[in-house]
Amino acid sequence: MNIFWFVMMFLSILILLITNPSAVLSEMIGASADALSLCIELCAVYAVWLGIMEMVEASGLGEKLAKLLRPLIKKIFKVDDGETQKIIALNVSANMLGLGNAATPMGIRAMQKLDDGSGKANFAMIMLIVINATSIQLLPTTVIGLRASAGSQNPADIIIPTLLVTFCTTVLGILLVHTIHKIIHKKARAKK
Amino acid sequence: MSVSDYILPILFVMLFLYCLYKRVNTYDTFVKGAKGAIKLVVDIFPFIASILIAVALLRVSGITDFLAQLLSPIFNALGIPTELCELVLLRPFTGSGSYGILENIFTTYGPDSYISRCACVIMGCSETIFYVATVYISQTKVQKLFYAIPVALICSLVGTILACLVCKIM
Repeated sequence: MNIFWFVMMFLSILILLITNPSAVLSEMIGASADALSLCIELCAVYAVWLGIMEMVEASGLGEKLAKLLRPLIKKIFKVDDGETQKIIALNVSANMLGLGNAATPMGIRAMQKLDDGSGKANFAMIMLIVINATSIQLLPTTVIGLRASAGSQNPADIIIPTLLVTFCTTVLGILLVHTIHKIIHKKARAKK
Repeated sequence: MSVSDYILPILFVMLFLYCLYKRVNTYDTFVKGAKGAIKLVVDIFPFIASILIAVALLRVSGITDFLAQLLSPIFNALGIPTELCELVLLRPFTGSGSYGILENIFTTYGPDSYISRCACVIMGCSETIFYVATVYISQTKVQKLFYAIPVALICSLVGTILACLVCKIM
């Protein structure tokens, strides 16, 4: 991320230095203000979802959901800890309903649980990021809403194509992470 | 009103009923959960700001336009229309930005056109990967993500190609 950010910033500023030097600082502050208003909006969204999620957990529904998804999560993430499995289950379910913002707090907590303090991402963490990126979408709520307000005749007709495509990408993601993990493991063992 | 409008309210009603059945103090519990929101947002603000700043500079410097033009022959060869290049390029970085582009596509090409439908499916099968990855690991000690981002990007690209194919048929 460090290298990536450096390249993006450096190249952009270098080009702007020639084409439009006065835009640099104003654009940066503008974007930072955008981030601030996004965060305020997110704070409102998170307050609602964290409250709801706390109810889900306190009532024992989280545990039930986790039980339902446990075999799958155990197989995909190779995680044995029950509490972590539960948080991952909540994160994945929120993602499936197209509620990315509700999934984020759960994702952050899952990452904290999975963190082993080594400074390196482990298998389950990488899997969680890939699953979140490719996530199966049962109901792309936001996109359907936007499309409806743009005057679409049948805003929901993208549900099946989306389901189909996201199913393929999720399977592909899981397979890729497993394969790469196996290859790296083999190499590490060969070195020893 | 569409069917999807009813799903969340119905789920919420079920949750409250279940809490009643389990004798959970809903008010206390909700407050306890909601309390975490401000701290969470304060913690992730610098990460969000640094990504949005980089994206803003990329756009205003013309690098994204240049990349979109440069890559459009490759995208075309993969079956991705030129009109969708900007969306595909910016989607991994910014959620609000890509929703802006999506609305632009709706008004330019009409919400029921092939381009718009492709764009919708692309939004579903891709994610603001850089944003998610930075925010998710922001509260851990992790510095190296190894192959997480390349794999996620490859999946999104495959998803984009599939989306353009599927929308032609369905």
